[in-house]
Amino acid sequence: MTPVLGALHFPPIEELVEWPGIFLKDTPFEVNKVVLLMWAGAIIVFGLFWAAGRAASSGNLVPTGIQTVVEGGIDFVRNDIILQTMGPAGLPWTPFLVTIFFYVFITNIFEVIPFVQFPVNARMALPLFMSLLVWVIFNYMGVKAQGFGGYFKSMLLPPGVPKALLPLVALIEFISTIFVRPFSMAVRLFANMLAGHLLLVTFAVLSAALFTKSALAVILPLPFAMLILLTGFEILVAILQAFIFTILTAVYIGGAMHPEH
Amino acid sequence: MSLITAVVRFAQEAPAHAEEAKSNPILPAWNEVIWGAISFTILFVLIAKYAYPAVKKGIDARADKIRSSLDEAERTRDEANTILEDYRRQLADAKNESARIIEEARQSADKLRQDLKKQAEAEVAEIKSRAQEDIAAQVERAMGDLRARVADMTIELTEKVVQRNLDRETNLALIERFIDEAGSAA
Amino acid sequence: MLSLIGHFFAQTAPDEFLDGLSAIGAGIGYGAAAIGPGIGIGIVVGNAITAMARQPESAGMVRTTMFLGIAFTEALALIGFVVFILIKFA
Repeated sequence: MTPVLGALHFPPIEELVEWPGIFLKDTPFEVNKVVLLMWAGAIIVFGLFWAAGRAASSGNLVPTGIQTVVEGGIDFVRNDIILQTMGPAGLPWTPFLVTIFFYVFITNIFEVIPFVQFPVNARMALPLFMSLLVWVIFNYMGVKAQGFGGYFKSMLLPPGVPKALLPLVALIEFISTIFVRPFSMAVRLFANMLAGHLLLVTFAVLSAALFTKSALAVILPLPFAMLILLTGFEILVAILQAFIFTILTAVYIGGAMHPEH
Repeated sequence: MSLITAVVRFAQEAPAHAEEAKSNPILPAWNEVIWGAISFTILFVLIAKYAYPAVKKGIDARADKIRSSLDEAERTRDEANTILEDYRRQLADAKNESARIIEEARQSADKLRQDLKKQAEAEVAEIKSRAQEDIAAQVERAMGDLRARVADMTIELTEKVVQRNLDRETNLALIERFIDEAGSAA
Repeated sequence: MLSLIGHFFAQTAPDEFLDGLSAIGAGIGYGAAAIGPGIGIGIVVGNAITAMARQPESAGMVRTTMFLGIAFTEALALIGFVVFILIKFA
Protein backbone atom coordinates (compact mmCIF):
# COMPACT_ATOMS: atom_id res chain seq x y z
CA MET A 1 0.00 0.00 0.00
CA THR A 2 2.73 2.39 0.92
CA PRO A 3 4.41 2.57 -2.50
CA VAL A 4 1.06 3.32 -4.12
CA LEU A 5 0.27 6.05 -1.68
CA GLY A 6 3.81 7.27 -1.98
CA ALA A 7 3.31 7.75 -5.72
CA LEU A 8 -0.11 9.26 -5.17
CA HIS A 9 -0.17 12.95 -5.83
CA PHE A 10 -3.17 14.47 -4.15
CA PRO A 11 -3.63 17.96 -5.52
CA PRO A 12 -3.81 20.81 -3.00
CA ILE A 13 -7.22 22.30 -2.59
CA GLU A 14 -6.32 25.57 -4.31
CA GLU A 15 -5.65 23.59 -7.44
CA LEU A 16 -9.11 21.97 -7.22
CA VAL A 17 -11.34 24.96 -6.76
CA GLU A 18 -9.44 27.99 -8.04
CA TRP A 19 -9.36 28.39 -11.77
CA PRO A 20 -7.10 30.64 -13.80
CA GLY A 21 -8.67 33.49 -15.73
CA ILE A 22 -9.39 32.87 -19.38
CA PHE A 23 -9.97 36.43 -20.54
CA LEU A 24 -10.46 39.89 -19.02
CA LYS A 25 -7.60 38.90 -16.75
CA ASP A 26 -6.72 40.98 -13.69
CA THR A 27 -9.91 43.02 -13.87
CA PRO A 28 -12.92 42.70 -11.54
CA PHE A 29 -14.67 40.99 -14.46
CA GLU A 30 -12.13 38.24 -14.94
CA VAL A 31 -13.73 35.21 -16.59
CA ASN A 32 -12.70 31.72 -15.53
CA LYS A 33 -14.27 28.28 -15.62
CA VAL A 34 -16.59 29.08 -12.72
CA VAL A 35 -17.92 32.18 -14.48
CA LEU A 36 -18.39 30.24 -17.71
CA LEU A 37 -20.37 27.64 -15.78
CA MET A 38 -22.51 30.37 -14.22
CA TRP A 39 -23.33 31.61 -17.71
CA ALA A 40 -23.97 28.07 -18.91
CA GLY A 41 -26.27 27.41 -15.97
CA ALA A 42 -28.27 30.56 -16.64
CA ILE A 43 -28.50 29.76 -20.35
CA ILE A 44 -29.56 26.16 -19.68
CA VAL A 45 -32.23 27.16 -17.16
CA PHE A 46 -33.60 29.85 -19.43
CA GLY A 47 -33.44 27.48 -22.40
CA LEU A 48 -35.45 24.87 -20.49
CA PHE A 49 -38.10 27.41 -19.54
CA TRP A 50 -38.16 28.93 -23.00
CA ALA A 51 -38.66 25.53 -24.63
CA ALA A 52 -41.33 24.57 -22.12
CA GLY A 53 -43.10 27.91 -22.55
CA ARG A 54 -43.04 27.60 -26.33
CA ALA A 55 -44.37 24.04 -26.15
CA ALA A 56 -47.09 25.14 -23.75
CA SER A 57 -48.17 28.17 -25.76
CA SER A 58 -48.28 26.15 -29.00
CA GLY A 59 -51.31 24.39 -27.58
CA ASN A 60 -49.46 21.27 -26.52
CA LEU A 61 -51.78 20.38 -23.69
CA VAL A 62 -50.24 17.01 -22.90
CA PRO A 63 -46.72 17.81 -21.66
CA THR A 64 -43.79 15.90 -23.10
CA GLY A 65 -40.02 15.98 -22.62
CA ILE A 66 -38.66 19.27 -21.33
CA GLN A 67 -42.15 20.56 -20.64
CA THR A 68 -42.69 17.71 -18.18
CA VAL A 69 -39.44 18.50 -16.37
CA VAL A 70 -40.10 22.22 -16.07
CA GLU A 71 -43.75 21.86 -15.14
CA GLY A 72 -42.88 19.13 -12.65
CA GLY A 73 -40.31 21.46 -11.07
CA ILE A 74 -42.80 24.32 -10.90
CA ASP A 75 -45.44 22.03 -9.42
CA PHE A 76 -42.94 20.76 -6.87
CA VAL A 77 -41.91 24.27 -5.81
CA ARG A 78 -45.55 25.34 -5.64
CA ASN A 79 -47.09 22.39 -3.83
CA ASP A 80 -44.25 21.00 -1.74
CA ILE A 81 -42.40 24.19 -0.85
CA ILE A 82 -44.57 27.30 -1.05
CA LEU A 83 -47.92 25.88 0.02
CA GLN A 84 -46.32 23.88 2.84
CA THR A 85 -44.32 26.74 4.31
CA MET A 86 -45.79 30.08 3.19
CA GLY A 87 -49.37 29.18 2.43
CA PRO A 88 -51.33 30.61 -0.50
CA ALA A 89 -50.01 34.11 0.29
CA GLY A 90 -46.61 32.98 -0.96
CA LEU A 91 -47.75 32.08 -4.45
CA PRO A 92 -46.55 35.41 -6.01
CA TRP A 93 -43.04 34.30 -5.03
CA THR A 94 -43.23 31.27 -7.30
CA PRO A 95 -41.08 32.71 -10.16
CA PHE A 96 -38.33 33.75 -7.73
CA LEU A 97 -38.26 30.41 -5.92
CA VAL A 98 -38.47 28.46 -9.16
CA THR A 99 -35.51 30.43 -10.50
CA ILE A 100 -33.52 29.70 -7.34
CA PHE A 101 -34.45 26.03 -7.40
CA PHE A 102 -33.52 25.44 -11.03
CA TYR A 103 -30.40 27.62 -11.01
CA VAL A 104 -29.01 26.02 -7.87
CA PHE A 105 -29.85 22.57 -9.16
CA ILE A 106 -28.24 23.08 -12.58
CA THR A 107 -25.11 24.67 -11.13
CA ASN A 108 -24.90 21.81 -8.61
CA ILE A 109 -25.39 19.04 -11.13
CA PHE A 110 -22.35 20.27 -13.11
CA GLU A 111 -20.46 18.34 -10.44
CA VAL A 112 -21.20 15.01 -12.09
CA ILE A 113 -21.48 16.07 -15.75
CA PRO A 114 -18.51 14.48 -17.58
CA PHE A 115 -15.75 16.89 -18.66
CA VAL A 116 -17.34 19.71 -16.65
CA GLN A 117 -17.21 18.11 -13.21
CA PHE A 118 -17.17 21.23 -11.13
CA PRO A 119 -20.04 22.48 -9.01
CA VAL A 120 -20.25 26.24 -9.25
CA ASN A 121 -21.51 26.30 -5.67
CA ALA A 122 -18.24 24.81 -4.42
CA ARG A 123 -17.10 28.41 -4.73
CA MET A 124 -18.49 30.79 -2.15
CA ALA A 125 -19.53 33.42 -4.70
CA LEU A 126 -22.95 32.29 -5.87
CA PRO A 127 -24.24 30.96 -2.51
CA LEU A 128 -23.08 34.15 -0.83
CA PHE A 129 -24.80 36.38 -3.37
CA MET A 130 -28.05 34.41 -3.25
CA SER A 131 -28.18 34.21 0.53
CA LEU A 132 -27.50 37.95 0.83
CA LEU A 133 -30.25 38.58 -1.71
CA VAL A 134 -32.61 36.42 0.35
CA TRP A 135 -31.50 38.27 3.49
CA VAL A 136 -32.32 41.64 1.92
CA ILE A 137 -35.66 40.33 0.65
CA PHE A 138 -36.88 38.78 3.87
CA ASN A 139 -35.90 41.80 5.96
CA TYR A 140 -37.58 44.10 3.46
CA MET A 141 -40.71 41.96 3.42
CA GLY A 142 -40.78 41.84 7.22
CA VAL A 143 -40.52 45.63 7.54
CA LYS A 144 -43.08 46.07 4.78
CA ALA A 145 -45.58 43.62 6.26
CA GLN A 146 -45.29 44.54 9.97
CA GLY A 147 -43.62 47.94 10.06
CA PHE A 148 -40.11 48.55 11.35
CA GLY A 149 -40.97 48.31 15.06
CA GLY A 150 -43.40 45.44 14.65
CA TYR A 151 -40.92 43.41 12.62
CA PHE A 152 -38.15 43.73 15.17
CA LYS A 153 -40.57 43.18 18.03
CA SER A 154 -41.84 39.92 16.55
CA MET A 155 -38.29 38.89 15.66
CA LEU A 156 -36.68 39.65 19.01
CA LEU A 157 -39.45 38.94 21.50
CA PRO A 158 -41.02 35.56 20.91
CA PRO A 159 -44.19 35.04 22.98
CA GLY A 160 -44.18 32.84 26.07
CA VAL A 161 -40.64 33.63 27.28
CA PRO A 162 -40.09 34.51 30.98
CA LYS A 163 -39.31 38.19 31.50
CA ALA A 164 -35.95 37.51 33.12
CA LEU A 165 -34.70 35.69 30.06
CA LEU A 166 -35.94 38.25 27.55
CA PRO A 167 -32.68 40.21 27.07
CA LEU A 168 -30.74 37.03 26.46
CA VAL A 169 -33.37 35.62 24.12
CA ALA A 170 -33.57 38.91 22.22
CA LEU A 171 -29.80 38.95 21.76
CA ILE A 172 -29.75 35.34 20.57
CA GLU A 173 -32.68 35.89 18.22
CA PHE A 174 -31.10 39.01 16.78
CA ILE A 175 -27.79 37.29 16.09
CA SER A 176 -29.44 34.19 14.72
CA THR A 177 -31.79 36.07 12.40
CA ILE A 178 -29.54 38.84 11.18
CA PHE A 179 -26.12 37.18 11.08
CA VAL A 180 -26.38 33.42 11.31
CA ARG A 181 -29.21 32.97 8.78
CA PRO A 182 -27.46 34.26 5.66
CA PHE A 183 -24.14 32.84 6.77
CA SER A 184 -25.46 29.34 7.48
CA MET A 185 -27.54 29.36 4.31
CA ALA A 186 -24.53 30.21 2.14
CA VAL A 187 -22.19 27.89 4.03
CA ARG A 188 -24.66 25.00 3.88
CA LEU A 189 -24.81 25.01 0.12
CA PHE A 190 -21.14 25.86 -0.37
CA ALA A 191 -19.76 23.32 2.09
CA ASN A 192 -22.01 20.51 0.87
CA MET A 193 -20.89 20.98 -2.70
CA LEU A 194 -17.23 21.49 -1.80
CA ALA A 195 -17.23 18.37 0.39
CA GLY A 196 -18.89 16.36 -2.38
CA HIS A 197 -16.38 17.63 -4.91
CA LEU A 198 -13.46 16.74 -2.64
CA LEU A 199 -14.88 13.26 -2.07
CA LEU A 200 -15.23 12.64 -5.80
CA VAL A 201 -11.73 13.99 -6.44
CA THR A 202 -10.28 11.79 -3.70
CA PHE A 203 -11.74 8.60 -5.10
CA ALA A 204 -11.06 9.59 -8.70
CA VAL A 205 -7.39 10.25 -7.88
CA LEU A 206 -7.18 6.96 -6.03
CA SER A 207 -8.77 5.03 -8.90
CA ALA A 208 -6.50 6.72 -11.45
CA ALA A 209 -3.41 5.95 -9.37
CA LEU A 210 -4.43 2.30 -9.02
CA PHE A 211 -4.97 2.00 -12.78
CA THR A 212 -1.27 2.68 -13.28
CA LYS A 213 -0.26 0.01 -10.76
CA SER A 214 -1.41 -3.20 -12.38
CA ALA A 215 -0.05 -5.32 -9.54
CA LEU A 216 -2.56 -3.79 -7.18
CA ALA A 217 -5.52 -4.01 -9.52
CA VAL A 218 -7.08 -6.40 -7.04
CA ILE A 219 -8.18 -3.55 -4.82
CA LEU A 220 -9.06 -1.31 -7.75
CA PRO A 221 -12.76 -2.23 -7.70
CA LEU A 222 -13.11 -0.83 -4.21
CA PRO A 223 -12.30 2.85 -4.84
CA PHE A 224 -13.86 2.65 -8.30
CA ALA A 225 -17.12 1.27 -6.92
CA MET A 226 -17.01 3.97 -4.25
CA LEU A 227 -16.55 6.54 -7.00
CA ILE A 228 -19.64 5.30 -8.82
CA LEU A 229 -21.66 5.15 -5.61
CA LEU A 230 -20.58 8.63 -4.62
CA THR A 231 -21.48 9.98 -8.05
CA GLY A 232 -25.02 8.73 -7.51
CA PHE A 233 -24.97 10.15 -3.99
CA GLU A 234 -23.82 13.53 -5.28
CA ILE A 235 -26.71 13.64 -7.74
CA LEU A 236 -29.01 13.16 -4.74
CA VAL A 237 -27.12 15.86 -2.83
CA ALA A 238 -27.41 18.26 -5.77
CA ILE A 239 -31.19 17.87 -5.80
CA LEU A 240 -31.47 17.95 -2.01
CA GLN A 241 -29.38 21.09 -1.62
CA ALA A 242 -31.39 22.90 -4.29
CA PHE A 243 -34.54 21.84 -2.43
CA ILE A 244 -33.18 22.93 0.95
CA PHE A 245 -31.93 26.28 -0.32
CA THR A 246 -35.32 26.95 -1.89
CA ILE A 247 -37.33 25.84 1.13
CA LEU A 248 -35.18 27.93 3.49
CA THR A 249 -35.77 30.95 1.27
CA ALA A 250 -39.50 30.25 1.41
CA VAL A 251 -39.46 29.75 5.18
CA TYR A 252 -37.52 32.97 5.84
CA ILE A 253 -39.66 35.12 3.56
CA GLY A 254 -42.87 33.50 4.80
CA GLY A 255 -41.80 33.88 8.43
CA ALA A 256 -41.07 37.56 7.93
CA MET A 257 -44.48 38.09 6.33
CA HIS A 258 -46.45 36.09 8.92
CA PRO A 259 -44.76 36.32 12.32
CA GLU A 260 -47.13 33.91 14.05
CA HIS A 261 -45.14 30.94 12.84
CA MET B 1 15.03 26.89 25.26
CA SER B 2 11.82 26.43 27.09
CA LEU B 3 8.38 25.62 25.80
CA ILE B 4 7.10 29.14 26.49
CA THR B 5 9.69 30.86 24.39
CA ALA B 6 9.18 28.40 21.58
CA VAL B 7 5.44 29.06 21.53
CA VAL B 8 6.05 32.78 21.65
CA ARG B 9 8.35 32.48 18.70
CA PHE B 10 5.71 30.62 16.66
CA ALA B 11 3.15 33.19 17.64
CA GLN B 12 5.37 35.95 16.38
CA GLU B 13 5.91 34.20 13.11
CA ALA B 14 2.30 33.27 12.57
CA PRO B 15 1.17 36.62 11.02
CA ALA B 16 3.88 36.41 8.42
CA HIS B 17 2.67 32.91 7.57
CA ALA B 18 -0.93 34.06 7.22
CA GLU B 19 0.03 36.86 4.87
CA GLU B 20 1.73 34.40 2.60
CA ALA B 21 -1.57 32.62 1.86
CA LYS B 22 -2.85 34.94 -0.80
CA SER B 23 -5.90 33.00 -1.92
CA ASN B 24 -8.36 31.36 0.41
CA PRO B 25 -10.68 28.58 -0.78
CA ILE B 26 -13.41 29.76 1.57
CA LEU B 27 -13.59 33.43 0.73
CA PRO B 28 -15.44 34.39 -2.45
CA ALA B 29 -13.52 35.72 -5.42
CA TRP B 30 -14.90 39.09 -6.41
CA ASN B 31 -15.06 38.42 -10.11
CA GLU B 32 -17.15 35.32 -9.42
CA VAL B 33 -19.49 37.21 -7.09
CA ILE B 34 -19.99 39.92 -9.71
CA TRP B 35 -20.63 37.47 -12.53
CA GLY B 36 -22.83 35.30 -10.33
CA ALA B 37 -24.94 38.30 -9.37
CA ILE B 38 -25.24 39.36 -13.01
CA SER B 39 -26.11 35.83 -14.20
CA PHE B 40 -28.69 35.25 -11.49
CA THR B 41 -30.31 38.66 -11.89
CA ILE B 42 -30.57 38.40 -15.67
CA LEU B 43 -31.89 34.85 -15.40
CA PHE B 44 -34.49 35.85 -12.81
CA VAL B 45 -35.67 38.84 -14.85
CA LEU B 46 -35.94 36.77 -18.02
CA ILE B 47 -37.79 33.97 -16.31
CA ALA B 48 -40.14 36.18 -14.30
CA LYS B 49 -40.91 38.38 -17.31
CA TYR B 50 -41.06 35.95 -20.23
CA ALA B 51 -40.55 32.27 -19.55
CA TYR B 52 -42.57 31.70 -16.38
CA PRO B 53 -45.76 33.41 -17.59
CA ALA B 54 -45.67 31.33 -20.78
CA VAL B 55 -45.30 28.08 -18.85
CA LYS B 56 -47.91 29.20 -16.32
CA LYS B 57 -50.28 30.04 -19.15
CA GLY B 58 -49.82 26.55 -20.54
CA ILE B 59 -50.47 24.99 -17.12
CA ASP B 60 -53.52 27.16 -16.53
CA ALA B 61 -54.85 26.42 -20.02
CA ARG B 62 -54.48 22.74 -19.35
CA ALA B 63 -56.16 23.08 -15.96
CA ASP B 64 -59.03 24.99 -17.57
CA LYS B 65 -59.29 22.42 -20.32
CA ILE B 66 -59.39 19.56 -17.85
CA ARG B 67 -61.86 21.37 -15.64
CA SER B 68 -64.16 22.18 -18.54
CA SER B 69 -63.85 18.63 -19.86
CA LEU B 70 -64.80 17.30 -16.45
CA ASP B 71 -67.75 19.69 -16.24
CA GLU B 72 -68.79 18.68 -19.73
CA ALA B 73 -68.53 15.01 -18.82
CA GLU B 74 -70.57 15.59 -15.67
CA ARG B 75 -73.22 17.44 -17.62
CA THR B 76 -73.37 14.74 -20.29
CA ARG B 77 -73.68 12.08 -17.63
CA ASP B 78 -76.53 13.89 -15.93
CA GLU B 79 -78.24 14.27 -19.27
CA ALA B 80 -77.77 10.60 -20.06
CA ASN B 81 -79.14 9.73 -16.65
CA THR B 82 -82.31 11.74 -17.18
CA ILE B 83 -82.76 10.22 -20.61
CA LEU B 84 -82.24 6.76 -19.20
CA GLU B 85 -84.75 7.49 -16.46
CA ASP B 86 -87.19 8.65 -19.11
CA TYR B 87 -86.70 5.53 -21.15
CA ARG B 88 -87.11 3.38 -18.09
CA ARG B 89 -90.37 5.08 -17.26
CA GLN B 90 -91.59 4.70 -20.82
CA LEU B 91 -90.63 1.06 -20.81
CA ALA B 92 -92.50 0.49 -17.55
CA ASP B 93 -95.53 2.27 -19.02
CA ALA B 94 -95.41 0.15 -22.13
CA LYS B 95 -95.17 -2.99 -20.04
CA ASN B 96 -98.18 -1.99 -18.00
CA GLU B 97 -100.09 -1.14 -21.17
CA SER B 98 -99.32 -4.46 -22.81
CA ALA B 99 -100.30 -6.33 -19.65
CA ARG B 100 -103.56 -4.45 -19.61
CA ILE B 101 -104.20 -5.25 -23.27
CA ILE B 102 -103.47 -8.92 -22.77
CA GLU B 103 -105.77 -9.01 -19.76
CA GLU B 104 -108.52 -7.36 -21.76
CA ALA B 105 -108.05 -9.78 -24.63
CA ARG B 106 -108.18 -12.69 -22.29
CA GLN B 107 -111.35 -11.40 -20.70
CA SER B 108 -113.06 -10.83 -24.03
CA ALA B 109 -111.94 -14.23 -25.26
CA ASP B 110 -113.38 -15.81 -22.13
CA LYS B 111 -116.62 -13.99 -22.63
CA LEU B 112 -116.74 -15.05 -26.24
CA ARG B 113 -116.13 -18.64 -25.30
CA GLN B 114 -118.81 -18.56 -22.64
CA ASP B 115 -121.26 -17.08 -25.14
CA LEU B 116 -120.42 -19.59 -27.80
CA LYS B 117 -120.73 -22.41 -25.34
CA LYS B 118 -124.09 -21.22 -24.15
CA GLN B 119 -125.31 -20.79 -27.70
CA ALA B 120 -124.08 -24.23 -28.72
CA GLU B 121 -125.74 -25.82 -25.71
CA ALA B 122 -128.99 -24.07 -26.53
CA GLU B 123 -128.79 -25.28 -30.13
CA VAL B 124 -128.00 -28.79 -29.05
CA ALA B 125 -130.98 -28.78 -26.72
CA GLU B 126 -133.21 -27.47 -29.46
CA ILE B 127 -132.04 -30.04 -31.96
CA LYS B 128 -132.49 -32.77 -29.42
CA SER B 129 -136.00 -31.73 -28.54
CA ARG B 130 -136.92 -31.40 -32.20
CA ALA B 131 -135.54 -34.84 -32.92
CA GLN B 132 -137.49 -36.28 -30.03
CA GLU B 133 -140.60 -34.62 -31.34
CA ASP B 134 -139.89 -36.00 -34.80
CA ILE B 135 -139.32 -39.46 -33.46
CA ALA B 136 -142.48 -39.28 -31.42
CA ALA B 137 -144.45 -38.16 -34.49
CA GLN B 138 -142.93 -40.93 -36.63
CA VAL B 139 -143.69 -43.49 -33.96
CA GLU B 140 -147.22 -42.21 -33.77
CA ARG B 141 -147.66 -42.39 -37.52
CA ALA B 142 -146.00 -45.82 -37.75
CA MET B 143 -148.23 -47.11 -34.97
CA GLY B 144 -151.28 -45.79 -36.81
CA ASP B 145 -150.16 -47.39 -40.07
CA LEU B 146 -149.39 -50.64 -38.32
CA ARG B 147 -152.70 -50.67 -36.60
CA ALA B 148 -154.55 -50.08 -39.88
CA ARG B 149 -152.47 -52.69 -41.63
CA VAL B 150 -152.92 -55.31 -38.90
CA ALA B 151 -156.63 -54.72 -39.01
CA ASP B 152 -156.65 -55.14 -42.79
CA MET B 153 -154.54 -58.26 -42.62
CA THR B 154 -156.66 -59.71 -39.84
CA ILE B 155 -159.73 -59.22 -41.99
CA GLU B 156 -157.99 -60.74 -45.00
CA LEU B 157 -156.68 -63.65 -42.95
CA THR B 158 -159.98 -64.24 -41.48
CA GLU B 159 -161.47 -64.38 -44.99
CA LYS B 160 -158.87 -66.87 -46.12
CA VAL B 161 -159.25 -69.03 -43.00
CA VAL B 162 -162.89 -69.07 -43.54
CA GLN B 163 -162.58 -70.01 -47.30
CA ARG B 164 -160.18 -72.93 -46.92
CA ASN B 165 -160.67 -74.49 -43.58
CA LEU B 166 -159.96 -78.10 -44.67
CA ASP B 167 -157.20 -80.26 -43.23
CA ARG B 168 -154.09 -79.88 -41.34
CA GLU B 169 -151.90 -79.86 -44.34
CA THR B 170 -153.95 -77.24 -45.93
CA ASN B 171 -153.96 -75.20 -42.71
CA LEU B 172 -150.19 -75.36 -42.43
CA ALA B 173 -149.71 -74.49 -46.03
CA LEU B 174 -152.16 -71.73 -45.52
CA ILE B 175 -150.34 -70.37 -42.51
CA GLU B 176 -147.05 -70.60 -44.28
CA ARG B 177 -148.44 -68.81 -47.27
CA PHE B 178 -149.86 -66.25 -44.94
CA ILE B 179 -146.58 -65.76 -43.26
CA ASP B 180 -144.86 -65.54 -46.59
CA GLU B 181 -147.38 -63.06 -47.75
CA ALA B 182 -147.05 -61.15 -44.54
CA GLY B 183 -143.25 -61.23 -44.94
CA SER B 184 -143.36 -60.09 -48.50
CA ALA B 185 -146.01 -57.54 -47.64
CA ALA B 186 -144.05 -56.13 -44.77
CA MET C 1 10.68 16.45 30.85
CA LEU C 2 9.72 19.99 29.99
CA SER C 3 13.23 20.76 28.86
CA LEU C 4 13.13 17.66 26.67
CA ILE C 5 10.03 18.92 24.87
CA GLY C 6 11.62 22.34 24.61
CA HIS C 7 14.67 20.74 23.09
CA PHE C 8 12.49 18.96 20.52
CA PHE C 9 10.74 22.22 19.65
CA ALA C 10 14.02 23.98 19.19
CA GLN C 11 15.20 21.39 16.73
CA THR C 12 12.07 21.52 14.57
CA ALA C 13 11.57 24.19 11.93
CA PRO C 14 8.83 26.58 13.14
CA ASP C 15 6.72 26.40 9.93
CA GLU C 16 6.73 22.66 9.86
CA PHE C 17 5.72 22.49 13.48
CA LEU C 18 2.87 24.95 12.99
CA ASP C 19 1.62 22.97 10.00
CA GLY C 20 1.65 19.81 12.06
CA LEU C 21 -0.25 21.42 14.91
CA SER C 22 -2.83 22.94 12.60
CA ALA C 23 -3.38 19.59 10.88
CA ILE C 24 -3.98 17.94 14.24
CA GLY C 25 -6.28 20.75 15.30
CA ALA C 26 -8.21 20.65 12.04
CA GLY C 27 -8.72 16.91 12.22
CA ILE C 28 -9.80 16.89 15.85
CA GLY C 29 -11.97 19.97 15.29
CA TYR C 30 -13.86 18.51 12.38
CA GLY C 31 -14.26 15.17 14.12
CA ALA C 32 -15.68 16.86 17.21
CA ALA C 33 -17.93 19.08 15.11
CA ALA C 34 -19.41 16.03 13.39
CA ILE C 35 -20.46 14.26 16.62
CA GLY C 36 -23.32 16.54 17.61
CA PRO C 37 -24.95 16.89 14.20
CA GLY C 38 -24.59 13.15 13.63
CA ILE C 39 -26.60 12.40 16.76
CA GLY C 40 -28.97 15.27 16.03
CA ILE C 41 -29.77 14.14 12.49
CA GLY C 42 -30.32 10.64 13.80
CA ILE C 43 -32.86 11.94 16.31
CA VAL C 44 -34.59 14.11 13.71
CA VAL C 45 -34.93 11.34 11.13
CA GLY C 46 -35.86 8.73 13.71
CA ASN C 47 -38.68 10.83 15.09
CA ALA C 48 -39.80 11.73 11.59
CA ILE C 49 -40.06 8.03 10.74
CA THR C 50 -42.04 7.40 13.93
CA ALA C 51 -44.39 10.23 13.01
CA MET C 52 -44.79 8.95 9.45
CA ALA C 53 -45.47 5.43 10.65
CA ARG C 54 -48.04 6.70 13.13
CA GLN C 55 -49.77 9.01 10.70
CA PRO C 56 -48.95 8.06 7.11
CA GLU C 57 -51.48 10.60 5.79
CA SER C 58 -49.32 13.51 7.03
CA ALA C 59 -46.10 12.02 5.63
CA GLY C 60 -45.63 14.87 3.12
CA MET C 61 -45.64 17.57 5.77
CA VAL C 62 -43.43 15.54 8.09
CA ARG C 63 -40.93 14.99 5.27
CA THR C 64 -40.70 18.70 4.49
CA THR C 65 -40.21 19.56 8.13
CA MET C 66 -37.70 16.73 8.49
CA PHE C 67 -35.55 18.15 5.70
CA LEU C 68 -35.72 21.57 7.33
CA GLY C 69 -34.62 20.09 10.63
CA ILE C 70 -31.80 18.16 8.96
CA ALA C 71 -30.67 21.34 7.21
CA PHE C 72 -30.52 23.30 10.45
CA THR C 73 -28.76 20.50 12.32
CA GLU C 74 -26.35 19.79 9.50
CA ALA C 75 -25.21 23.41 9.43
CA LEU C 76 -23.05 22.83 12.50
CA ALA C 77 -21.17 19.97 10.87
CA LEU C 78 -20.70 22.03 7.74
CA ILE C 79 -19.36 24.97 9.71
CA GLY C 80 -16.95 22.49 11.26
CA PHE C 81 -15.95 21.38 7.78
CA VAL C 82 -15.37 24.98 6.73
CA VAL C 83 -13.26 25.60 9.79
CA PHE C 84 -11.29 22.46 8.91
CA ILE C 85 -10.62 23.81 5.43
CA LEU C 86 -9.73 27.21 6.88
CA ILE C 87 -7.22 25.78 9.31
CA LYS C 88 -5.75 23.26 6.92
CA PHE C 89 -5.51 25.23 3.69
CA ALA C 90 -5.93 28.92 4.37
